[in-house]
Amino acid sequence: MTVKECYDAIGANYEEIMGRLRTEERVKKFLLKVLSDKSYDLLIQSIEERNMEEAFRAAHTMKGVSQNLSLTRFYHSSNELAELLRDRHDYGADIEPVLEKVKEDYAQMIEQIRKLEG
Amino acid sequence: MNQRENGRIRKKILIVDDSEFNRSLLSDMLSDEYEILEAEHGMEAAGILHSQEQEIALMLLDIVMPVMDGFETLAIMNKNGWIKSIPVIMISAETVPTYVDRAYDLGVKDYISRPFDERTVRRRVVNTLILFAKQKELEHMVTEQIMEKEKSNKLMIEILSNIVEFRNGESGLHVVHIRTLTELFMRNLLEKTDEYDISPKDIPLVCNASALHDIGKIVIPEEILNKPGRLTEEEFAVMKTHSEEGAKILERIPMLEDEPLLRTAYQICRWHHERYDGRGYPDGLKGDEIPIVAQIVALADVYDALTSKRAYKKAFSHEKAVDMILNGECGTFNPLLLECLRDIEGTLEKEFKELSEKGDSQKEIANTVEQMMEGGELSVSEHSIRLLEHERMKYQFFATLSREIQFEYTKTPEMLILSEWGAKYLNMPETILTPREARFGTEVFNKDDFEQLLGDLENTTPEDPMVEEIYLLNINGQRRWSKVISKSMWGEGEPPEYAGAIGKIADIHEDMEKMNKLESRAAHDSLTGLLNHKTARGRISETLAKDEEQRYILIVFDLDHFKDANDTYGHLFGDEVLKHVAETLKNSTRNEDICARMGGDEFLIFMPYKEEAESQVKRIFGLLCDKYKEFQISVSIGVAYAENCGRDYDTLFHMADEALYEAKRGGRKAYRFYNKDENES
Repeated sequence: MTVKECYDAIGANYEEIMGRLRTEERVKKFLLKVLSDKSYDLLIQSIEERNMEEAFRAAHTMKGVSQNLSLTRFYHSSNELAELLRDRHDYGADIEPVLEKVKEDYAQMIEQIRKLEG
Repeated sequence: MNQRENGRIRKKILIVDDSEFNRSLLSDMLSDEYEILEAEHGMEAAGILHSQEQEIALMLLDIVMPVMDGFETLAIMNKNGWIKSIPVIMISAETVPTYVDRAYDLGVKDYISRPFDERTVRRRVVNTLILFAKQKELEHMVTEQIMEKEKSNKLMIEILSNIVEFRNGESGLHVVHIRTLTELFMRNLLEKTDEYDISPKDIPLVCNASALHDIGKIVIPEEILNKPGRLTEEEFAVMKTHSEEGAKILERIPMLEDEPLLRTAYQICRWHHERYDGRGYPDGLKGDEIPIVAQIVALADVYDALTSKRAYKKAFSHEKAVDMILNGECGTFNPLLLECLRDIEGTLEKEFKELSEKGDSQKEIANTVEQMMEGGELSVSEHSIRLLEHERMKYQFFATLSREIQFEYTKTPEMLILSEWGAKYLNMPETILTPREARFGTEVFNKDDFEQLLGDLENTTPEDPMVEEIYLLNINGQRRWSKVISKSMWGEGEPPEYAGAIGKIADIHEDMEKMNKLESRAAHDSLTGLLNHKTARGRISETLAKDEEQRYILIVFDLDHFKDANDTYGHLFGDEVLKHVAETLKNSTRNEDICARMGGDEFLIFMPYKEEAESQVKRIFGLLCDKYKEFQISVSIGVAYAENCGRDYDTLFHMADEALYEAKRGGRKAYRFYNKDENES
């Protein structure tokens, strides 16, 4: 699998990222780093513990990472979640669906990136 | 590790972001040109800045971070002045205008928005560095120019006023005195109030202007000016015109309106003989109608007149002059100014002498310039950076060599910085934030010990800063005796403020163990391993001194016919017998019981008992009378109750000894309890 194929598969913007990072080597290097980024686990754990501040930070971080790598689809879902969690003190039912979307997009994205690892 | 490229030291960039991803990405974009340092949040960044401030050329700062966020970091950088020497580029995802404004208000130089674009990042970094360097250079140049201008300004005025004073026949010191006094009064006044329209940066200007206060005397005829005796009424009237005349001279200068110096000089000249109650001259102004600068110079003039020798009077002492002024003997003054006089009274005489003799205050010019520039610190040259790097390298080397944990502690923000070797050895980070809650302050040190150490350091003084203590520390799971030697550090201000401490932790475990062993040996009998009499006596006396419910007995016994055993079987055998007896004792007594060999073949036991003691004594007696090889051991025992001895060891011992004697007299191989009545008969 090539980097471009991977990007297309996960709804990310290949042209944009190449324009910013310049080399495919760099793009690949950082795309693979996403696999070891702990923010997702931190997000899940914080939600479980109802630590809303940590959860916000985690979502915010993920949004930042996806923005940096032009992972458009994931950026949208994590951004929505982050904004919902901003300054939030309590968990609510409204968070549920947004969180589910994030989980979905993340799982799919990880699956594709793993193929790139080869 | 410093990196050189073409012999030039690479500039260091500090990236502060909690996302490893972001740090990594930015680092990737910049690491070919710069040396990259990283921090996860503001506290860590502060730790790095604390030790490497001068070497960091730029900081990339995120906003949203745990522990200490971007704004808090900027606040600390402002407080410590770091913001002046390090340009900061914000790299946050937050682009809300209020955030951006706030960041700029806190001194941020630029904002790189996300997502990161390699060319943009590199270009912005370069631009900011160049711009910052240029700024520093220009600031430096402007600072120098202003200082030059101020100096020549001051010089011209000095020359001018000395021309005037020359005619007076007084020493040129009068002008210098007035200048000094004006400065002292103004500084004190500004501390007290801001109701007047003056600020610290006006001080040099007013001092300059004050030098011109008597410029009007140039029109006064010499005979009056230098008359040795008292002036007649007419003469005095002429003299009084010098204020108005001086003002007229200044009025004629076309630039009066535009030049603050001239305006101020005019005020001082014309009205430095006005009085607060309106009875001064020439215009009879009252209270705060009189410009405050004129009021100050008026007071200064009076003080100087009192404390200087004049043609018509001697010089009064400093104390007398102050008294006279405060008592209202020399006219009325603004009560606030009189307060100032009282405030600076103590230091007045000293400062006055010092400043007057020097006749110069470069310091005040420099202060002004700094305030005008709002900063203006000189940049640190590459040479200094090299020196710093060299020092650091030396420090690291020695720290590693000594195999001691070296540390630096700062009070605000509270953190502990370990030497590289120390951190590795303890398996901890070099920078420890909130050390009291971290492993260092709760595991390595016992929590109470650590609090005590920090407390002791805070209670030292700059004159006596050393603290040396021994603690039992937990180093990587092992208990080690360690000596902590440390020295407190103090700030520059008056009074000096406690800033933190530096110190080292030396492992003294082996030495401590050795000492403990020696002490132990000194307390024990070398043959049998039991306590010796001296130590036993000490411990028993201690127990007796305690007012306890517990009841005790003292048993003393010796081996029957021991001398014969020695003669028959030899001394070596005798020793074996003694050791055997000692073993029996150890095995048949508990840890709380005190067993000792008194010497020769005499032993003692001190033990508690509950209801009665006889059964214990009988048991021990039975155990001791056994056979060792060919020798049948038999003992004679004397026992005394502790409650009868009046808490005195010697009495107790004496009673037990008497009982032993009874046992021997009765035929040996027996035990006897001390009975007062029996023995007295």
